[in-house]
Amino acid sequence: MMWETVAQAVINGLLIGGIYALVSIGVTLIFGVVKIVNFAQGEFVMIGMYISFFLSSQFGIDPLLSLFVTMPVLFVAGVLIQHFLIRRVLGPNDMPQIFLTFALSLLLLNLALMLFTANYRTVHTSYSDEAFHLGGLYVPVAKLIAFVVAMLLSGALWVFLHATDLGKAMRAAAQNRDVAMLMGINPNRVFCVALGIALALAGAAGSLLMPFYSAYPFVGQVFVLMAFVAVVMGTLGNVIGALIASLLMGVAESLGIQYVGADSGLIVVFALLLLTLAFKPTGLGGKAR
Amino acid sequence: MKKSRGQTPVKSLRRRDFLIKAAGGAIATTAFGAIPLRGWAADPVNIGALYPVTGSMAQIGQGCVNAAKLAAEMVNEAGGIKSLGGAKLNLVISDVQSDTTVTRTETDRLISGNKLSAIHGCYASALTLIASEVAERAKVAIITGSSTDQLNKSRQYTFTPFARASQFAKAQLQMARLLSDKPKVAVIFENTAFGTSTSNGLREQAPGEGVEIVLFEPYSAGFADAGPLINKVKASGADAVFSVSYLNDLILIVKTIKQTGLKVALNGGSGGFVIPDFYKNVGALAEGLQGVAHWNHDSDANAQKVNAEYKKRTGEFLFEYAGGLVAQTFMIADALERAASTDPQKVRDALSTLDVSSGYAAMAPGGKVKFGPDGKNVYGRPVGVQWQNGDLASVFPKEDARAPLMKT
Repeated sequence: MMWETVAQAVINGLLIGGIYALVSIGVTLIFGVVKIVNFAQGEFVMIGMYISFFLSSQFGIDPLLSLFVTMPVLFVAGVLIQHFLIRRVLGPNDMPQIFLTFALSLLLLNLALMLFTANYRTVHTSYSDEAFHLGGLYVPVAKLIAFVVAMLLSGALWVFLHATDLGKAMRAAAQNRDVAMLMGINPNRVFCVALGIALALAGAAGSLLMPFYSAYPFVGQVFVLMAFVAVVMGTLGNVIGALIASLLMGVAESLGIQYVGADSGLIVVFALLLLTLAFKPTGLGGKAR
Repeated sequence: MKKSRGQTPVKSLRRRDFLIKAAGGAIATTAFGAIPLRGWAADPVNIGALYPVTGSMAQIGQGCVNAAKLAAEMVNEAGGIKSLGGAKLNLVISDVQSDTTVTRTETDRLISGNKLSAIHGCYASALTLIASEVAERAKVAIITGSSTDQLNKSRQYTFTPFARASQFAKAQLQMARLLSDKPKVAVIFENTAFGTSTSNGLREQAPGEGVEIVLFEPYSAGFADAGPLINKVKASGADAVFSVSYLNDLILIVKTIKQTGLKVALNGGSGGFVIPDFYKNVGALAEGLQGVAHWNHDSDANAQKVNAEYKKRTGEFLFEYAGGLVAQTFMIADALERAASTDPQKVRDALSTLDVSSGYAAMAPGGKVKFGPDGKNVYGRPVGVQWQNGDLASVFPKEDARAPLMKT
């Protein structure tokens, strides 16, 4: 019974950690490459959820299949936002960038409130409430699918960053923007792709969440705080670091709820963050990659 | 927001209706000479209605407005207030925007700008407390479905015809006893004022009701995953769960319990748990879940009739606040009838001596309404409900049960 409770807590933590990872990888990618903090990342998850919800309620498309709509749509949105908004505020001063993404977050949030109201929207799928049972343990189907797809997407991103010219250019721009430019890399092009990928990941998170979570205008806020913690813990700009940190945080939160208190999950997460920073000030990832 | 305050499109139609009926009445009067002459010239009676139809509480507030209109029509179609020569009820609706400051100014504006005989509103406790303060000062009676016990403290013009919040915990505990002689209950609650006050009521009364609380767990509302919390419930060995939660958390809790395969009876309390929207979000998983309400639509034949009409108009069943509001409107009509005056003081005095046990005004768990000196209905009690076939069935206590408790 005892080990069962622990094992279940770890499973729960890993599964939700996969979702945190999709959000935090987006944030860390933007920070690493473009050097700005995207405060609106959670709102793009919200948009992804609403797209999935409406595709499902209007056309009966399974929320998981709507991944093939939300990802491209948000990729294009990311490219446009970089090209028409962020590009104009990139400069030596950080303030305009912070204001821009923060304003974007407020704008999208309130636009959603106006258009969709504060009501909760839920999608019922055949697998929404199902779970695999192994002994005394259970693994919810929808969350398992979300976790697996999240890991596949993270893996694909890693391959892209390491095996393609564009990906290498992106890492180069992250490591040293000036030298990268001297080597003939067009920064705006690289930045556009980075924003596009980051937002596409947020959209994917939205589609993956929809079978088991309700969409509402403030939903992004639930996930974005964890994402920021994971970005710091996993070393700013480090994709693999953010992934590992997200999974660790999911497990820490779950164990915290189990053994400290259901309103103390975040305390354990932040304690883990402080410990990490105390012993590895740059974060788990070591350096930006 | 103008649309919500007046009801311009309906009004013109109703005026024509009124003229035709009044003309008919006039002919009848001259023909038989039985009804006093002022009968066809009676001024309408203004009833203030304060509800949030915008903002975060708009969903339930809009349902209340729909019910208020339906109730006023019912009174008017039945001949209006006969002691006032068949005077019709005229609803003066005001949107309090889910905001306490707006509630204060709107209540003030409503009372000073209209000659009101009485007010009903605002359903939400936080807003009703404010509206009641303003109404007390202006000496206009306010009748409300809000259940907070604070409304029964040192007030003269505030009337609460339904069960009080303090009675809900006891009913919930007694419901747990229906399923097992020695129920082991896990209480999980969101850690702000709403959750802590409700759950403390449960904890205090549990020993007296023979209920053992095996887990008493506050959580922060708005979690990403209910898995860890339910894992805790599982480890506690509870056979019943009381959840004091907001809608989104509750949806996740219900789904997660189902996924774990845990066999526990869930009692979701009141509020967001007993409105049609809950079933829309949770679907068939809601079947068998229990809750408590201050009003339910299957209590008697009258309530069922109103429910059918409301359903026809809105497509949803008559939930507790909306249904209670129909009864409240008839209580005001009863008071007007006996006061034979539109003077707010006389209406208030007539309300304080209200004593009904039949008709639409008596649609309430217990079937009787009579106000004590604190404005509380001395017969008021909550009703235990259960989701059965997409509808809420009354299952507790025995006198109010209209369907057997489904054991899940």
